[in-house]
Amino acid sequence: METLQYALRKFIYSIPLLFGVTLIAFTLMVYFGPDQTYQFLSKNPTPEEIERVRSELGYDQAFAVRYVQYLGDLATLNLGNSNSSGERVTQILVKHIPVSVALALPGFILSVVLGVSIALIAAFYRGTWVDKGIMVFAVVGMSISFLIVVIAFQIIFCSFYGLNWFPVQGWDVDSVGSYLSHVTVPTMAIVFVALGYNTRFYRAVIVEEMNRDYVRTARAFGASPVKLLFKHVLKNAMIPIITRVIITLPFIVIGGNIIIEKYFSIPGIGQVTLEAIISGDLPIVKAVVALTAVLYVFALILTDISYKMIDPRVSYK
Amino acid sequence: MDREPEIQNKEPDSAPVEPRAKRDSLWKKAFRKFFRDKFGIASLVVVGIYFLIAVGVWLDVIGTNWSATTDASFAPPSSEHWFGTNINGQDIRDRALYGTRVAFEVGLVVALLATTIGGVLGCIAGYFNRTIIDEVIMWLYGCLDSIPFYLFVAAVAFVLQGNPYAMHIAMICTFWSSTCRIVRGEVIKIRNLEYVEAARAVGVKPLTIVFKHVFPNTLHILLVQATITFVGAIKSEVILSFLGLGVKNSVSWGIMLSEASSEVSGGIFYNFYTASIFLFILVIAFNIFADSLQDALDPKKVSV
Repeated sequence: METLQYALRKFIYSIPLLFGVTLIAFTLMVYFGPDQTYQFLSKNPTPEEIERVRSELGYDQAFAVRYVQYLGDLATLNLGNSNSSGERVTQILVKHIPVSVALALPGFILSVVLGVSIALIAAFYRGTWVDKGIMVFAVVGMSISFLIVVIAFQIIFCSFYGLNWFPVQGWDVDSVGSYLSHVTVPTMAIVFVALGYNTRFYRAVIVEEMNRDYVRTARAFGASPVKLLFKHVLKNAMIPIITRVIITLPFIVIGGNIIIEKYFSIPGIGQVTLEAIISGDLPIVKAVVALTAVLYVFALILTDISYKMIDPRVSYK
Repeated sequence: MDREPEIQNKEPDSAPVEPRAKRDSLWKKAFRKFFRDKFGIASLVVVGIYFLIAVGVWLDVIGTNWSATTDASFAPPSSEHWFGTNINGQDIRDRALYGTRVAFEVGLVVALLATTIGGVLGCIAGYFNRTIIDEVIMWLYGCLDSIPFYLFVAAVAFVLQGNPYAMHIAMICTFWSSTCRIVRGEVIKIRNLEYVEAARAVGVKPLTIVFKHVFPNTLHILLVQATITFVGAIKSEVILSFLGLGVKNSVSWGIMLSEASSEVSGGIFYNFYTASIFLFILVIAFNIFADSLQDALDPKKVSV
């Protein structure tokens, strides 16, 4: 109950953020966005026809009117139909978001789990060659562009210049086997790119925790180093780790992984949205931006609640 | 704070007559520490070489042949074309050299402006902590952070149609937020120090305190943030060029890589190897440089 109250209060505080995001997105993507008038007209349109289409699209209204209308549509979940395909926007979201999630989630989970594990090893052997070796690999990994990794992995694993084990592109998933064959190479690329950053970040967090007084005390009392690391240090380092994980989640759901989706021609929501922005398919853009903002706010609230679960000293104030 | 005495103890004992005058500034110490760091110097040299290449291209000395079709397409590496030619028969070496200039342009413009904006707004937000000014600045970067980056760039690129700096502007609009966050945190600590309190007590105007007394004490953070932003900008340029949102009417490593992405399936790797190696070496050098700089400038680390 207390948690629910807290979440509600947090949500009310985050309303300005929702307004801000929708306002920026509306101004940039809708108000100054592509003009679609002529896509709905035949070749030599009369001025009356132009006028009619413009008013159908709402172009003749003032900025504030259009923005308020947009907010109203969002509040009533009246997202409309895509301008280019005529499909319902909700349907498009339902169709493409699961693809993005299925594509990005394994890589995300693996990169966090591996990142934390490697960071623990590095922190445990701090100052030795193990630590230095890991950190060198982390810097090298951080320095390779995602695009290079994607191209290289596709050559190595998906083409006959390399091993040719996996499909080159596409998303033809109907069973566990086909899912695995399509998701493996993207997952490897995501993990490869994220691992360097993650390892460094988590190592810094863990090392900072290891410098605290309670660790010295525990060590003085003869706690075994491994137990100390897992039972005390990792537990106390959980707050920054959880924050980083949860804040990234909304972007996986909605931003997807545009580069991977584009390079492997996977119909995820990231690619759909990018195309929508460029072609000016406003109903899709409006829905996606609003959804991201809402998910982001939920993620913020979720992190705050999870602090309490991890650390009972944190109070809802 | 508790480290202060330690630092003083480590001062050389040779000149005890006037310890105040002899005490080195953070910058002098950092300078000395940096030049003892072998990796730091090596990375600085590499970045310096790249910078010279970029200057050479600016002065039209090297990389002049980046757009001329000089030979057959996909000519193999030779003494004339060190790294071969691309599909249009353009010399890949010159294109890579020209790409260095573009990378430095993107990196420098974005790093300078984004860290300046982040630094100034961070100082203001931190100094006026818990006031409406702070709330507004936090709200602003909160909003920008919750819009997916590539979608934001796509939108800005569309709004500024045809503007060659659309990508730069979009990056500046989003990259300042991380600097702002860090500087704000630091300034919240600084504003409670005695010297700020003293300035306030003698009636110095708030904005003068912020810019004359507080801002200079965040410069070491800004320098490190600038190097990190520089790397981020170069790496983002590659991705954006691949998505078709990057530099226009020019060549960059990102454009070379996106050309390469359609060539590698045909077994042609000249563009891919050249652009990857140019990009990788600059980014890793910059990453190591940023690390060394951070080590050298970290006042918490005890240094001689």
